[in-house]
Amino acid sequence: MNASVIEFAGAVKLYGEKRIGPVEFSVRRGEIFGFLGPNGSGKTTCIRMLLGLVRPSAGKVKLGGLDPIRNHTEALTGVGYSPELPNIQTFMTPKEVLALAASEIGLKSEVRAETARVLEEVGIIEYGDTKVGKLSKGMVQRLSVAQALIGSPKTLVLDEPMIGLDPAGTAHLREAFREYARNGGTILMSSHMMTEVEDLCSSIALIHGGKLLFRGTAKEMVSQVLGADEIRVEANGLSPAIVDAVRRVEGVLEVTEGADGLDVKVRHGIEARPTIARLITGAGAELLTIREGERMLEKAYIEALRNGIAKA
Amino acid sequence: MALPRPSRVYAFAAYEVRRALARKKVLAMVGFIALLDTVPYYILATSGTKIIPLQVYPYLWVAGVLAPFALFMQFVAILIAAGAMSEEYESGTAELLLAKPVSRTEFFLGKFLGGFALLALLILLNALLSVAAATLTYGAQAGLDTLPGVVLVEVYSSALFFSVAFMLGELVRRSSLAYILSSALIVASQIIGTYLSIAYELTGNTFYETIHIYLPTTLAGSLPPQYEQSLLPSAASRLFQLILGPAGGTPSEASAAILVGVYLVVASSVALAYFNWADVARRVN
Repeated sequence: MNASVIEFAGAVKLYGEKRIGPVEFSVRRGEIFGFLGPNGSGKTTCIRMLLGLVRPSAGKVKLGGLDPIRNHTEALTGVGYSPELPNIQTFMTPKEVLALAASEIGLKSEVRAETARVLEEVGIIEYGDTKVGKLSKGMVQRLSVAQALIGSPKTLVLDEPMIGLDPAGTAHLREAFREYARNGGTILMSSHMMTEVEDLCSSIALIHGGKLLFRGTAKEMVSQVLGADEIRVEANGLSPAIVDAVRRVEGVLEVTEGADGLDVKVRHGIEARPTIARLITGAGAELLTIREGERMLEKAYIEALRNGIAKA
Repeated sequence: MALPRPSRVYAFAAYEVRRALARKKVLAMVGFIALLDTVPYYILATSGTKIIPLQVYPYLWVAGVLAPFALFMQFVAILIAAGAMSEEYESGTAELLLAKPVSRTEFFLGKFLGGFALLALLILLNALLSVAAATLTYGAQAGLDTLPGVVLVEVYSSALFFSVAFMLGELVRRSSLAYILSSALIVASQIIGTYLSIAYELTGNTFYETIHIYLPTTLAGSLPPQYEQSLLPSAASRLFQLILGPAGGTPSEASAAILVGVYLVVASSVALAYFNWADVARRVN
């Protein structure tokens, strides 16, 4: 049995001279899949091919094992979509938008309850009767996610779902997506927010210039691109001798001194933190924190776009 | 291919009516219809002019029902239809609506029927206001039993420019361009029709008359008056001379009805085929 919910098999889209693809990857049921790439790289085109809005020029795209163009109704059943910068009719209220979405998916009874549920889930229940034209950008973004969640779809396709949200909104949606995935849902989300992707996604793909550069986990991408893990050390009283000793620890590739500590690059897969911690405290310095480096995926992403995966 | 599901078509039709009404230009048209159907009656009745023969008074409602239809209601039809699809692309709203388990045919039919239902309501409003205004200014009106029939014929005839404008809206995907092209078609057809009528009057050559008959404005504009003329007494004939105009041939009722149907089927089929084939535009600026 094929457990792939989403499948791109050499999918290509031509826009005159511009070519997106061939794109080749699949997303298994229950995965939260991060689709990364800079603006104009082809992420949205791939998503639109997946939803049957755009016809591939070559190759195949399958959603739930079906061709989303030929079997649009069947393929899109149980799929929710929230577009990047959602355009929603401004004369409607969120409740009306959701009622229309409910009729599109054939929800007949309990529309009110379902509407209230999804409005609650994205945190805009109190704006249910406000015209969309009077909502803030962040509220519209949440409404877009709400209409994707209506009818409890098994698969969510989210194009930049956190864009325009304030930190509270981001945190709210992040938790909603986690809950959705915990309940067995599959998510494909494109995002520029690497911390969100690193935090949420079980696997990722990177597309650049219309070409798929990478498919794997965030850790694999960091390892493959940067070739090392990073450790952040914050301590008082670090002498040059201690720094030299850290440089000699097995697996340490590079040590950079900063104002309040050290950034240590370590060969991927080696756990050097206990040794470094012992070394620092043993030499009489005061160790404040020692943790994994932050925003590693972001660093790997920028590096990959600059130099390409293979070169990196 | 699965048949369109009525519930989905209805959902889109209801949405389209609301969307069209939310546009200020459609509401402006409603106001204009109200003025067009009431002010002329009031002016004629209060100005003291004796240009209207007494025996025509009971049939003056016909003028209000038919006169605006020839041209004004055609513009209302294209105003509603030209933007039905194209404005969804311009505002980027088509994407969200179509990324759901609905077929493009369901969406298309809903939009078409919703827009057309709104147009039919405006035609009915025009007819009811005309009858009311004629009754209030010129007394009790006669022959009102023919009103439902003539309204239906007007609704059917209006499908010609409605479907052409709907098709152009889908093909060019820009509402203003679709509106300009549709308006140009009406104006060009009207002007060409006038020249052909003159040419026929001067030369007696039936070729000019034949061409004139097939013009869209001739077909859409001639069917309701012809239908109504055949039902009302000769006392009202002066009105029809004014409405139909002095010159040019008109097709028989049957051929006009068939040709309106041909325009409707061809235009809507082309639009549907293109809509099913083309990519859904993300946002057309």
